[in-house]
Amino acid sequence: MDVKTVRDVAKFAHIALTDEEAERYCKDLGDILSYFELLNEAPECNERGVNPILVADIVRDDEPKTEYDADDLIRDMDTYDRYVRGPRLS
Amino acid sequence: MSMDSVMKDLKAINAKYQMFHAMSDDVSAGDAAFLFSAKDNLTSNDMETCAGSRILEGYRPIFDATCIAKLREAGGKLVGKTNMDEFGFGTFSTNSGFEVPKNPYDLNRACGGSSGGSACAASVIEDHVSLGVSTGGSICCPASFCGVYGIAPTYGRVSRFGLIDYGNSLDKIGVISQKATDLKKYMEIIAGRDERDPTSMVQPEFVTAYRKMKSVAIPKEGIEGLSKEVEAIFKDAVEQLKSMGVDVDYVDMPSLKYAMPAYYVLATSEASTNLARYVGMRYGHQEGDHSLKFDDYFTEVRSKYFGDEAKRRILLGTYARMAGFGGRHYAKAREVRQVVINDYKRVLETHDAVLAPTMPFTAPRFDDISKMSALDSYKADYLTVPANIAGTPHLSVPCGYDSDGMPVGMQFVADHWNEDILFSVAEDWEKQFDLRRPEVSI
Amino acid sequence: MKIGLECHVQLPTKSKMFCSCPTADCEFPNTYVCPTCLGMPGSRPVLNRQVLVYGIMIAKMLNCEVNDTTWFARKTYFYPDMSKSVQITQYDNPIGERGVYYLDGKKPIRITRIHVEEDPGSTKRTADLTSLVDYNRSGIPLAEIVTEPDIATPAEARQFLTQMIGDLRHLLDIPDDLEWEVKCDCNISVGTERVEIKNVSGLKNAERALHSEMVRQIAMIKAKKKIVRETRRYDPDRDVTISMRVKEFEDQYGYIDEPDLGVYHIKELADSIRISESPQNMILRITSQYKLDPKMAKQLVNTSMDLAVLFEDIAKEFGTQNAIKWVGGPISANWRAMEDRGVTDLARLKELIGDFSEGGITDTQCAIEIKSYMTGQDAAAAQEDSAGLETLINEFLDKNPKIVTDYQKNDKAANQVIGYVMKQTGGKYSSAEVVETAKKLIEARF
Repeated sequence: MDVKTVRDVAKFAHIALTDEEAERYCKDLGDILSYFELLNEAPECNERGVNPILVADIVRDDEPKTEYDADDLIRDMDTYDRYVRGPRLS
Repeated sequence: MSMDSVMKDLKAINAKYQMFHAMSDDVSAGDAAFLFSAKDNLTSNDMETCAGSRILEGYRPIFDATCIAKLREAGGKLVGKTNMDEFGFGTFSTNSGFEVPKNPYDLNRACGGSSGGSACAASVIEDHVSLGVSTGGSICCPASFCGVYGIAPTYGRVSRFGLIDYGNSLDKIGVISQKATDLKKYMEIIAGRDERDPTSMVQPEFVTAYRKMKSVAIPKEGIEGLSKEVEAIFKDAVEQLKSMGVDVDYVDMPSLKYAMPAYYVLATSEASTNLARYVGMRYGHQEGDHSLKFDDYFTEVRSKYFGDEAKRRILLGTYARMAGFGGRHYAKAREVRQVVINDYKRVLETHDAVLAPTMPFTAPRFDDISKMSALDSYKADYLTVPANIAGTPHLSVPCGYDSDGMPVGMQFVADHWNEDILFSVAEDWEKQFDLRRPEVSI
Repeated sequence: MKIGLECHVQLPTKSKMFCSCPTADCEFPNTYVCPTCLGMPGSRPVLNRQVLVYGIMIAKMLNCEVNDTTWFARKTYFYPDMSKSVQITQYDNPIGERGVYYLDGKKPIRITRIHVEEDPGSTKRTADLTSLVDYNRSGIPLAEIVTEPDIATPAEARQFLTQMIGDLRHLLDIPDDLEWEVKCDCNISVGTERVEIKNVSGLKNAERALHSEMVRQIAMIKAKKKIVRETRRYDPDRDVTISMRVKEFEDQYGYIDEPDLGVYHIKELADSIRISESPQNMILRITSQYKLDPKMAKQLVNTSMDLAVLFEDIAKEFGTQNAIKWVGGPISANWRAMEDRGVTDLARLKELIGDFSEGGITDTQCAIEIKSYMTGQDAAAAQEDSAGLETLINEFLDKNPKIVTDYQKNDKAANQVIGYVMKQTGGKYSSAEVVETAKKLIEARF
C-alpha cells in the first residue's frame, strides 16, 4: 500500500485527505491488508452464496401504489419548485 | 422504578451515562405497556435518526423501522435512540459522532459497541429492553461488557426495513435486556416475515418453546488469547454448565481464524457502497456550496462529516472490491463465509451450541482504547465475528465479574433458525446466576 | 470498421423496478417517489416480478441462452441523479447471454448479453449552473442489450436499431402511438482503438453520432495521429463528438452482489414463457413458406401483423393463390381505410373470398364487395368508381402501349400510369388501389 494508491481510492470514494490523513490511512490500510492475506491460506469452496442463508425468488406483483405523501417525503430536502437542488453538473 | 419515574429521571440518567442521542420529552409513560429504546440506526418517525453519524444530522425519517413499529403496536413506548459507533463501525462505541456511552459499572470504561448505548440503557434502567444491531458482534460485545443478556438472531429473522445499512448480508436486529426472559418475549414481537425486506421472507416458523440444551462444543480457537481473568471466569462458568446437566466437548474449528479477515472484507465492501449515498443531498446535511462541481461538492460534505473510522472503512471497502486494485479479496471472502458456515454445521450436527467467552477481555478504559490501532480493535472481535459472518443466532449471558467488578460474558451459538435453544439455556442460566446490577445513582 | 451497441430501453411495467411507485408520466417533479427510489436511509428494494418476465421475453427474442439462476449487483458511481449513488443492475449471470439477431434475416449480429437495471432520476441545469433533480424517473426498469462489434457501418447500426425496436415494440405490446425512446452507448473503432459515444438518444442520432465519430477517426488516422481509447459524447446541434474523459473501465465501479435481493431461479419461469413471432421473423418465414415476393411479405407485415395473419388464414383455407390475389391485392390496398373506420371484423372478407373460390361470385364482384366493406362505400358506387378507374387506366395504356413492354423489364414503368391517374382524379382513389389496379390491367395485356 502506498500513498498514491490511498489517494486514488479516496478519489473514487469522494473523500478528501490531508497529507497527514493520507499517511496515516496508508499505514492503517497497509497493516490491515497484510492481515487480509491470511485469506489466501483459507480452504477453497465452490459455493459462495449472496447471503448466509439462501434468499431466493422473493418478488412482488406489478401493482402501482402510493403509500407515502410525496410532500412529506421531500419536506426536509433542499428544493426549488419541488425539484431537489443539487451541485453543478459540469 | 415505575415507568413514570423512569420517564421523570430520563434526562438525569442520560446526563450521567450518555446512552441516548435523541430522547422523548415526555415526563410520564402514559398508557404504555412497556418502555423500550432502540439503536440510532433504526428509523423512528418521531425522533431524529443519525446512525451515530454527523452526516445524518437532521434526518427525520417518515417511516418507523418495522421492529420499532411492531413494538409500538404491542404497547411499547420508544423513550430514546441510543448512541453507537458511527454506522456500526466499532467495538467500543467510541467512534460515535455524538456522545459516547459510559459503562454503568465504571464511568471511565467503554460500554462496548457498536450497540453500546443500547446495552447501557438495558443495564441502567429498570425493566428496560433495547433493540440492538449486530454486524460483527455489536449486540453480544456490549451485552457482555455491560453485564446483560443479548441475542443476535439468525440473519433474516427480523426485518431490516428501517435499518440504516452497514453490511446487508451481515446486519441482524436483536434484543438486549437485564432479564433473560425478555429476550424471548420481545423477539417474538419483532421477528417474522416482512414483505418490505426480502431477506426476512425465507425464515421458517419462529419456534420458541422450551428445549433443554444438552451439549455444547468449545472450539480450541475460542479459548486462546483471553485475559487471565476472563479465562478463569469462563472456566468456572463451564463447570457451572456441567452441573446444570450440559455435556461439554472441546473441538477443533479450523475455519474460525479466517472468519475475521473475511468479515472485514465483506463488511467494508458492502459498507462502502451503502455509504455512497451520503453526498449532502436529500437527507442529513445539505447546506454545501452548490456552485461547486458535483464531485467536489460531494467530496467536501463527506470529508467534513464522516468520522475517522468511517473514512478508514470506506477506503478499505472501496479498495477491496475494485478489480483495478487487484480486488480478488471480495470473491475469496465470500467463499470463506461458506467455509465457516460449513464448519459450524458440522459441529452443530452433534452439539446443541458452540460456546466461548464473548470477548477476550472486560470493558477497557477510554484512555487505553485511544492507544489501540485500528487493526488491534478489529482483532478484539475475533470471538463474535465467526457467528456473525455465518449468520447463525448467538446469545451472550453474563457469567461473572473480574477483580474490578467488571462483567464477563459467554456466548452460545446455535444453528440457523434455532433461537429456541438459546432462549432456553439463557433462562436456565438466569435461574442460577447471581446478576450483579450496577450502582445507579443520579 | 467495427461497431458495437449498448442499447437501453424502458420496460413498460406499471410500477417501478424495486418499489411500487407508478411509472406513468407525472406532471410535477418528485411526486411518484418513495423512500426506496429516493435512496432514503433504512429503505429497501423489492423486485417487481414483471421485470423478470420482460427480461426473459427479450432474451428469447434475441435467441439468448437464459440463465437458470440470475441475480443483481451494485454499481457504484456518484452523480446528483443517483439517489443511492448505487445503481442496482446485473453483472454476473444476467438474464440472457450469447444470443444472435439477424439483420434483415441475413446478417447475424451477435448479442453478448441482455440484463435489467434501474434508471436514475433526471437532472436540469439552472441559469446559475447548479442543478435541479427530479427522481420521478429514479427506479424505472430498463433493459440493456449489448451487441458484439459485428455492425459494419453507421447506416447498418441504424438499420439494426430500427428493426430491433420494431420487434421489441411488438414483443412488449407498446402502443403504436406511444413514443418509446432507445438510448445507446455506441462503440466504434475504425482502426484498432475503440471509442465509446455515451448516451445517444434515438435512432437518427445514433447514426449521426457514429458517422461523425467515424469521420473524426478516419481523419486522425490519415494525419497519423493516435486515437485515444476514451468516452465521448455527441452534440447533435454541432454534429460532433466531444471528449468527456479517459475511458472508464468496468472495474472502476467496484461491483458487488446485491444482498438485499438474493437470487432468482428463473428456469421454470423462462420455460413457461412463449413469445409471439417478431415481425422480422414473420417476414422471413412467410416469404419462404409461401414462396412470396419478399416485397409483398414485407408490405403485408409492415402494414399490420393482423393483415399478415389474415394472409395465412386465407392461404390455409383457400390456397396461396387466393391469399396473394385478395389479401395481397384489394384487402391490403384498403386496409388503412378499414382501420381508420374502426372496423375490425374480418369474417365478412373470408366469406367473400370463400364465395369467389366456389364460383358463387365473380372476380370483379368480389373485388367490389371487399372494397365496399372495407371503405364503407356503397357497393354500387364502388362498382362505378372501380369501373371508372379501370376505364381511365385502360385509356392511358391504349395511348401508351410501350409502358406494357417496359413493365416486363422493370415494374417501375407502372409509375407513369399511377402519376397520370392521380393527376386526373386528385385524391379520389387511394394510391394503393391505383397501384393494384394498374398492375392488374398491365399484366392482363401480356
